[in-house]
Amino acid sequence: MSEPDEARSVDVDEIRLTLPALFPYGRVARLAVTGMASRNGYTYDDVEDLRIAIGELFGILVAEELPDVRLQLTCLLVPDALDITAARLPGARIERVTDLSRQILAAVVDQAEIDESGGRIRIVKRLGTRS
Amino acid sequence: MNSADHGGDRSQQRELFVTYHRTRDLAVRDELVAANLRLALHLARRFANRGVSIDDLEQVASLGLLRAIDRFDPDRKLEFSTFATPTIMGELKRHFRDKGWSVRVPRRVQELHLRLNSVVADLTHQLGRSPTITELASAARASEEEVLEAMEAAQAYRSASLDGRAESYPESDGAQLGVDDLGLFQAENRLLVEELLAHLAPREQLLLRLRFYEEMTQQQIAERLGVSQMHVSRLLARCLEDLRRRVEFAQNLS
Repeated sequence: MSEPDEARSVDVDEIRLTLPALFPYGRVARLAVTGMASRNGYTYDDVEDLRIAIGELFGILVAEELPDVRLQLTCLLVPDALDITAARLPGARIERVTDLSRQILAAVVDQAEIDESGGRIRIVKRLGTRS
Repeated sequence: MNSADHGGDRSQQRELFVTYHRTRDLAVRDELVAANLRLALHLARRFANRGVSIDDLEQVASLGLLRAIDRFDPDRKLEFSTFATPTIMGELKRHFRDKGWSVRVPRRVQELHLRLNSVVADLTHQLGRSPTITELASAARASEEEVLEAMEAAQAYRSASLDGRAESYPESDGAQLGVDDLGLFQAENRLLVEELLAHLAPREQLLLRLRFYEEMTQQQIAERLGVSQMHVSRLLARCLEDLRRRVEFAQNLS
């Protein structure tokens, strides 16, 4: 866990997933992300948190009708965290994020950054920091 | 809730039920439907904004009302509304459930989904922490992928509400508090509650807010978040227990 930085960079696996910006693909995204989390030893509660978070990312990024827009999920697997950025391709502003969505994200991941003008959201879920 | 607003209507309705029970006269049934339609429509609205049109919901609720009228036994000393409410609710829930599972969840995964709840509870108890997916898979004699699919099956229930999800629940800044079914959340306890909430992890705060301030049912919370109702129930139980301990602690101090 406490290797120097150069050693850590070797341990970063990057996985990219590009999906149509349609709700039904949320399932595909959740299965892919929870598959990565499971490989890294995340618990049931953490995986449920991640499922909620990915669902919320979809809720926010797919809420508006955007023809020809895709979603790209960039997942960085480091030994003690899962760092996921979901972005609209091509980039398009996020018009509305409800308070509830923000609260849900804040509740289930360790870090959540919503870049409204860039149309991207980044979440970080650390391994084993929550009960 | 009962559409029989005053006592006269109530005994009149009882007579109608006695008559209908004996004669099965459809004209009498129509009168009973008209007298109780408000209840059915009220219950239908509780399921609104979940991706099924209100027309459909009202139709399902009306069917539930008909079923309740047919089954109601006026000899039992029971208010009709008391009898009809669970019947109508059951009909509405079944409607959602049927729609939900139609998302082709294989039987094997459905079964694992149902079994998983008790495996999670047992393992959590045994280990004193949430089990990893690997641990769950070996306890459930399934692969990790199957476990993840089974967790995803909770989502299938929600498929019907996917389109409406962003608008599903009205925004609230927490100021428009409503009714509370837990004494703890009553107005005189607000300060205490807010202080207690501040000590909880964000996930717990969110759940309590949804459950008691937004007055969502466990099932509604599960659907909004896309997790199983069992999971919501487990988390809520855990954080209410935590709150209770803090309240007791605070009371002992004062």
